[in-house]
Amino acid sequence: MATPMIDPALFEQLKSKIETDTKIRKELHQILDDLNQHIAFTQGLFSRIHSTPRSKYPSLLGQVEEGIRKEIESVGKLSQFASQYPYYKYNHMWTRMIQDAISTVLLCTWLGGMGSEARPGELGRLLTLEEIGEVFQVPVNLKDQDAFHVTIEEYLLALINIVDELSRLAMNSVTLGDTSMAVQISSFIKDLHAGFQILNLKNDILRKRVDSIKYAVKKVEDVIYDLSLRNLIPAKASE
Amino acid sequence: MVGFKRDYQGNAKKHHGPKPAAAPKSTMRNAYTPMFERLRDELDAHHDRRDRIGKASRDVTALSKKIIFSLQRVRQIDASLPQDIQAEVDSRLAEIAKLLASIAPEVQDINRYRYSRSLVCLEELVEALTFSHYLKTQTLVDQAHLAQVVEDLARQGAAPEDEVMADAGTTPIPEQAGQVAAEAPVIGVTQEDYLYGVFDLTGEMMRFATTTSALTGQMASGDGHDEPRTIVEDMHDLGSLFEMLPHAGGGNKTWEKKLEVMRQSVQKVEKLGYDRTIRGSERPKGWIPDLTTDDQPNSP
Repeated sequence: MATPMIDPALFEQLKSKIETDTKIRKELHQILDDLNQHIAFTQGLFSRIHSTPRSKYPSLLGQVEEGIRKEIESVGKLSQFASQYPYYKYNHMWTRMIQDAISTVLLCTWLGGMGSEARPGELGRLLTLEEIGEVFQVPVNLKDQDAFHVTIEEYLLALINIVDELSRLAMNSVTLGDTSMAVQISSFIKDLHAGFQILNLKNDILRKRVDSIKYAVKKVEDVIYDLSLRNLIPAKASE
Repeated sequence: MVGFKRDYQGNAKKHHGPKPAAAPKSTMRNAYTPMFERLRDELDAHHDRRDRIGKASRDVTALSKKIIFSLQRVRQIDASLPQDIQAEVDSRLAEIAKLLASIAPEVQDINRYRYSRSLVCLEELVEALTFSHYLKTQTLVDQAHLAQVVEDLARQGAAPEDEVMADAGTTPIPEQAGQVAAEAPVIGVTQEDYLYGVFDLTGEMMRFATTTSALTGQMASGDGHDEPRTIVEDMHDLGSLFEMLPHAGGGNKTWEKKLEVMRQSVQKVEKLGYDRTIRGSERPKGWIPDLTTDDQPNSP
């Protein structure tokens, strides 16, 4: 009798690996559902920023920080589970969410939130990739180890997310009578735009998103122009 | 070049040669510039690595396809390959070995899955190697053994130039290959690479069955056993394997697409087997079935 075409043990091996993989994805989905809820809640709170005068920021940001604390907890669970498996095998499942979570932290800290005794909050503070890692208590840009971490691409895409949000805030701040906020946002977005021009980009999602920054820049420039035309730029804040 | 351009007054215009490269973007440095410069350097390194892997991958894919073309000239299964074909296959494998060795260091650990999309050559290589194994042994090589063969290829490729390249998988690496080969980084074959490669194998087996049944007048079958299996049964076994496996890959459409193609290949071979059985004795050797429709105007 000839050797059979297929070794009977092979089917079992292949099947069991596929089943394990399916189980992992199921569990990831559950963890990510939780994370997604916390992110959605926090983002919802942020929508109020466009109708909140700066004096009321501390109270609003306090609530946002609550949401962020829940995000950090979920990310911790994700990190613990996902670190058991090759990072790039499943990361497409959570990368958008991680970007959104990072965005909430970047926006909160930029608006002056999440201060500590060591480092009080201040308007205009941009967290670095490393600081984001500290907030979420995960490694960043991991190269020598295969575990959950935040990537450079995720940080950059999250940064672009808040550019859009801030360009909207610039306009609404003026409506609320806070013209110096608009000026500060304008300067920040222009600096970021210049920074993004330094990157060598390929034809990928990052490139597409970077291209969209110029619209935010224009939007804010228009706001500043409107203000300066009418001499509404506060003397202290203008160049 | 004769002549030169003149301006409106008839004076010769100076040709200043090609424009100098555009001056580097004058960026006013701001507080975030150093950060972006660091991130740029990181991203550049990643893109460069991905490009290098992609280039080698395209070459491995092309070489694997050439191996498959060579193998399609074989006429028998369950036997050693004809010498000339084996020599062609070996020479392609030697080139593949060098290419794999060149990128192996860049796809270790976390980078293995990071650059998965750039390593599609592995699927094609699995197809070629499983096809070769089938022709020689009339069996499906299992994942572990195949992964070992691919690892050995990377090791061979790292060995110094003057080593004889053994036929991957059938002879052991010569002792003299030494430290360099033994410690060389290798490329891992994932289960996805293996399964998708075997899916594609069914396509090649179908082509092989079609060609050999037309040219030899019989369905390819094993040699010298009491109950030799034909390629029809082998295709059925492979088909059933995939029908019974749960779908892999987490929702992408690749599995479904490849399954559909495989089903068609199985059915084509089934039809060949049926034709042979019913009409085998009627057809002269070399006769190819007429696939045109019945109602054709008779040519004068």
